[in-house]
Amino acid sequence: MLRPPFARAGLAALTALAFSMPLHAQTTPSPEAALAQRVDRLQAELDALKAQLAQLQRERAGAQAAAPAAGASAPAAAAPAATTAPTYAPIAPEQPVPTGEPATVLSSYGEINYNHYNHSSDRTQADLRRAVLGFAHRFDDKTRVVTEFEVEHAIASSSDSGEFEVEQAFIEHRFTPTYGLRAGLFLIPAGLLNENHEPTAYYGVERNFVETAIIPSTWREGGLQVFGTYGNGLTAQAGVSTGFDITKWDAASTEGAESPLGSIHQELQLAKARDLSVFGALNWRGIPGLQLGGSAFTGGANQGQPGVPDMRVTLWDLHARWTPGRWDLAAVYARGQISGTAEFNATLVGNPTLVPKTFDGWYAQAAYKVWSSGDYALTPFARYERYNTGRSYADLGPGLTPPARPTERVVTVGANFQLTPGVVFKADIQRFDVASENNRFDLGLGWSF
Amino acid sequence: MKPSWIHPGKPGPFFFAARRACTWRALLQGAAGVSLCALLTACGGGSSGSHEETPAPAALSAMAAMGEKIFNDTSLSASGRQSCAACHVSAAGHASENALAGQPGGVTMDQQGVRQTPSIRYLTANTPFFFDKEGTPTGGFFWDGRAASLADQAREPFLNAREMANADVPSVVEKLSRASYAAEFRKLYGEDIFSRPDDAYTRMTLALAQYQKEDHEFHAFTSRYDAFLDGRLKLSDQEMRGLALFNSPAKGNCAACHPSARGSDGSHPLFTDFTYDNLGVPRNPELLVNADPTYFDLGLCARPAGDLANRADLCGAFKVPSLRNVTRRQSFFHNGRFKSLKDVLTFYVQRDTHPEKWYPLGDDGQPLKFNDLPSQYAANVNTSEAPYNRLPGDAPALSDSEIDDVIAFLRTLDDDDSAH
Repeated sequence: MLRPPFARAGLAALTALAFSMPLHAQTTPSPEAALAQRVDRLQAELDALKAQLAQLQRERAGAQAAAPAAGASAPAAAAPAATTAPTYAPIAPEQPVPTGEPATVLSSYGEINYNHYNHSSDRTQADLRRAVLGFAHRFDDKTRVVTEFEVEHAIASSSDSGEFEVEQAFIEHRFTPTYGLRAGLFLIPAGLLNENHEPTAYYGVERNFVETAIIPSTWREGGLQVFGTYGNGLTAQAGVSTGFDITKWDAASTEGAESPLGSIHQELQLAKARDLSVFGALNWRGIPGLQLGGSAFTGGANQGQPGVPDMRVTLWDLHARWTPGRWDLAAVYARGQISGTAEFNATLVGNPTLVPKTFDGWYAQAAYKVWSSGDYALTPFARYERYNTGRSYADLGPGLTPPARPTERVVTVGANFQLTPGVVFKADIQRFDVASENNRFDLGLGWSF
Repeated sequence: MKPSWIHPGKPGPFFFAARRACTWRALLQGAAGVSLCALLTACGGGSSGSHEETPAPAALSAMAAMGEKIFNDTSLSASGRQSCAACHVSAAGHASENALAGQPGGVTMDQQGVRQTPSIRYLTANTPFFFDKEGTPTGGFFWDGRAASLADQAREPFLNAREMANADVPSVVEKLSRASYAAEFRKLYGEDIFSRPDDAYTRMTLALAQYQKEDHEFHAFTSRYDAFLDGRLKLSDQEMRGLALFNSPAKGNCAACHPSARGSDGSHPLFTDFTYDNLGVPRNPELLVNADPTYFDLGLCARPAGDLANRADLCGAFKVPSLRNVTRRQSFFHNGRFKSLKDVLTFYVQRDTHPEKWYPLGDDGQPLKFNDLPSQYAANVNTSEAPYNRLPGDAPALSDSEIDDVIAFLRTLDDDDSAH
């Protein structure tokens, strides 16, 4: 792990504490929520640690002439682990201005997965799913650039299946301790996973289906975003961004059935940008251990292309997470709809994959830390998902309108074993109600710093 | 297992559809924007991309106009009776206007072409022959893709002994120098151009290519299907059923090689992916060359240059033609074996379920499938994809009435040559 050179006792302790429940650290990045978790889990130690931290900051402030602004603006006492560890992974908009962080920090995450299919062992596969390197550079106390570079499937070349991607590249500027701005390629705030997609941040070897098939994680757009973090535990994000390109829809392939929006996202690659989208998200963490939130995204998808009907993609979600004691409970509901599909699909009748009018899904997940010793922690979990990538189709007349797709139901049971903060081993089994040929056993290794 | 290049089940081009949408931006631009929008909508607009719909016919450039004259000039043939237009008849979608498997030609017009005349419309987006990254042979002109461009293609018929039958390039150019438009040709390319036959021939074929590139008729996109894609009309119920059957991988699966959806660049579909397939079309005795039982037209692997001679897996493969204007045709496939679309489609879906309907019976009473190929190449025939993936006794992929539906759809692909 790369850690800031200033990781003295207090900060190191805070880091370790936060990392001791990396799921929380990664997924509840706001100062309020981080504080809430510490209160939840480490009440006895918190005051002492805060005192140590404050002492360190005072010392540093005295030593560095440039420090006062940071000291004045940052609710540094509530700094989440994500700030003390030089990761930009939980790119929370509300990261406070650090006081002693080096100007440039490196970070990384990655995962190596193994899938064994019960009914077709010939499909058994091991894959370096992704290895990610990133850097964040702070220009001054208020302004930084955040980047993330990802290689998927180990090798990216013209003759290999891998991809090399720039997953994030944005400038963040804080106007006040409450309000800030992002510009560039950033993750869209949606669900629990999209902005916190590191393997240490979620249960199970593979990312859940609702937040990959319905919410197309890892979903990023280019644009402008403002965010605000309020004292009552509320975080608000809103912005304008690029959106989807319906002309990428390939009715002859099954890609659109696997993830309707994943098949038409643009990822800021020569993105058709006539139609700007708008988005917003609210998250409330006013009660320690609890996060309630929702998001919405909507925008035109025909991008002004000749002959394409006016179409609009809208996606919204509601999500909740509650971490009482050793429990970690989460639920997400996400629903997407696309307008104008009747006219669009009329020219594609008979093809295997027409554009759905609606698609949705939800999951509920419970995890319980049954054992921990030092950095080691074992957390079994269970997740139940229901999702449908073709909930309904616009009417094209009898014989031509595709039937609604069957609703897939997936049960995932497994455990995350934290080896050390930022390193996780995972194992689970997954049972699919419809695509039972995909029933499988998974193993995974992940890291994040 | 079929060779991987045979219609490799690839996802087709990216699809998108429907009608021209006038943008809010155009509306925001006020009256001018609205009127522009209305204008574009009224004329159907132009699709983007390499095979762009040309706007309403503009005057041809001098080079293209020269190409048009050459295209229609019978004096450039040895017989004095054959021009490009003789076989590529505009009213027939620039294919042959009759049902002959091979057109007559030669010095005295007593020779028969060995392949059916392909349409030369919608070729401006075609490419030189290449193997794509999956090894699929793609592109090229002629049934075997041997020409690299329209101009390259235009070089051959003048010299083909079964067609315009000139002895050599100088003799073509000599005829050109005596044409009524020879002075224009000199004006365009230099007074001494006819003294340099190779240069003159190159320019002549470039002019022909330019004519095909510029003249709207070669890529008009004026079919009812184009209007449907642009949202300007609705297809009938039968036509829509036909489109669905055409697209459905489990039914006609036609779109696997004849893509029907617009490209992501807005281009209207050309109904060919410019690849090759081996369909096992029955031998056609109408072709005189087939009187020799040892003669086989092997297509791709037997190109005159011999460049694919070692690719036995490509023997019997021919280029996928565009289906635009297909209902104007009277003979089908490279050897002109079939004379109606009904027969063509019935052959597609019953080739394997009822082979006795298409092939002669052997001594053992069994049909001699794929009898237009030497037996060692029979395995090259595509038998893996719908609608061929059937066995005798199976139900055909399309019923008789479904075939009628598909044909009704195919009629929507005829250009409206009166549109401009």
